Amino acid sequence: MHLARLRLRDFRNYAKLDAEFVPGFHLFLGRNAQGKTNILEAIYLLATLRSFRGVGGGQMIRHGAKGYFAGGTVVGAGEHEIKAYWSPHERQLTLNARPVRKLSEYLGTLRAVVFCTEDLQLVKGAPRIRRRFLDLLLAQTRPGYLSLLLRYTQALRSRNALLKQSVADDAQLDGFTRGLVELGNELMSARRELVPRISPLARLAHRRVSQDSEDLKLEYRPCIKADFLLELRQSRGRERVLRTTLLGPHRDDVELMLDDRAAAQFTSEGQKRTIALALKMAQAEYLSGIHGTPPVLLIDDVMGELDAQRRAGLVPLLQQAHRAGGQVFMTCTEENWPRELGREIIRWEVNSGSLTAVAPGAVAPIPKMPGQGAQGE
Amino acid sequence: MASLPDPVVRLVAALGRLPGIGPRSAERLALHLVQADPGLVRDLSAVMNFARERIKTCSVCGSLTEIEPCDLCVSTSRDPTLLCVVERALDVISLEKSGTFKGRYHVLGGKLSPLNGVGPEDLRIGELEKRAAASEVREVILALGTDVEGDATGHYLASRLVGCNVRVTRIAHGLPAGSGLEFADELTLSRALEGRREL
Repeated sequence: MHLARLRLRDFRNYAKLDAEFVPGFHLFLGRNAQGKTNILEAIYLLATLRSFRGVGGGQMIRHGAKGYFAGGTVVGAGEHEIKAYWSPHERQLTLNARPVRKLSEYLGTLRAVVFCTEDLQLVKGAPRIRRRFLDLLLAQTRPGYLSLLLRYTQALRSRNALLKQSVADDAQLDGFTRGLVELGNELMSARRELVPRISPLARLAHRRVSQDSEDLKLEYRPCIKADFLLELRQSRGRERVLRTTLLGPHRDDVELMLDDRAAAQFTSEGQKRTIALALKMAQAEYLSGIHGTPPVLLIDDVMGELDAQRRAGLVPLLQQAHRAGGQVFMTCTEENWPRELGREIIRWEVNSGSLTAVAPGAVAPIPKMPGQGAQGE
Repeated sequence: MASLPDPVVRLVAALGRLPGIGPRSAERLALHLVQADPGLVRDLSAVMNFARERIKTCSVCGSLTEIEPCDLCVSTSRDPTLLCVVERALDVISLEKSGTFKGRYHVLGGKLSPLNGVGPEDLRIGELEKRAAASEVREVILALGTDVEGDATGHYLASRLVGCNVRVTRIAHGLPAGSGLEFADELTLSRALEGRREL
């Protein structure tokens, strides 16, 4: 699949942007604070309806504007037209001119994997971040997982509300515990199946990038050891004191092991960066495997942080996506764009909220920009 | 800018308390009413008063009725051994439209919802226990919603009814009649598979 057209109105520093993108490798060049990442953010927004910078809709509105619009045309199995408008008072999302009623019907229209500096938190950060990594992947590949997760969360919140009440009501708590356990068991079995499938992909990606002999392994660490219901019952006393549900898949983790040692503790900063990169590459490859087409890759300023060797390890993934008819969008400053990809790249110059095609790509034709001519080199 | 006269503002505020009426709709309705034929407004307020005064909730089953106890509760043609528990009075009407259920009803008045502060004492559960224990009831059928709270309410009721010597059942989850599999969501399909029956 690829994003053929992107339209932005009052989005971040773009008052108006109309751009067309062919499949292939797109590089956004420009000085800092010109709006390179904002384009990636908009593409990711169309894919997931969230910002990968972890901010709410309000922050994506251009300063002084009432609301933002982001729209796109996705070409995959058929052509899909996405339109999203967001303001503090009104939000609209349409797919092929029809309002989207259920999130689960929308997600998957555009699939994207983002590589950014925050990925480092996958290795260093709290278990929550690794759970979100699993959940996002499962939501994109396993039908029904998202609604399962939403139901589990509601059961959990209801149960926690009961535990916070001053008078204990065990019968009511049991009523919600049943649902929590049923839904929780389904979540755990989905995660238990996923992790061993991701682990070898991450190991290979890690090998390619690090060119070390160390083996990366992912291990699912469920909070529940054997029987969810029984273990919950045994923790009832402590739950009463702490007034919250102490056990369940909402406390799961995925442990990252490098040669059987916990990566979070026993690795250098550079090694952590490599592991994070490997996880994201594994995510992209898993999605390609399941859906038959690679996801759109969004790479935000990651190249600058990698040494030549690690960059060389990443390049095959990018070329692979490129060859399979996929699309890669990457931001870079002038100094550190990956010249090793040279001729295949379509270059764009980003300059305070405008986008201009720079040089003709060797493979793909030059994308046409309304009102802006492509300049030759 | 001239603001609306005070009586209109009060009318907007009153209408805005109705379900499904936002500030804009409330304003539109209020402006319509204050400019409408006085007879129409008088009739409207009369029928509203009349309806409100005449309609009670049945003290036995909790459904809407003019007479006490309601027709459904006194009818001799209905099977007194079957008791169907629903969340709202509207659900009784839906089930009655289907015409297949010939037992009696019990309206809970909602479902357990700790996040909204709705507990067992806010629902007609004590009355249900009494009915299930005292009368000739042999089976209690739970016809509640299939969301997390509806399911939890079902489990809770089942545990409360343990001592009443009744069979407690739940209506099936499954596919809507007359539609193909392609329109069903994944959860419905997996529930329908779990609840399969031999032919």
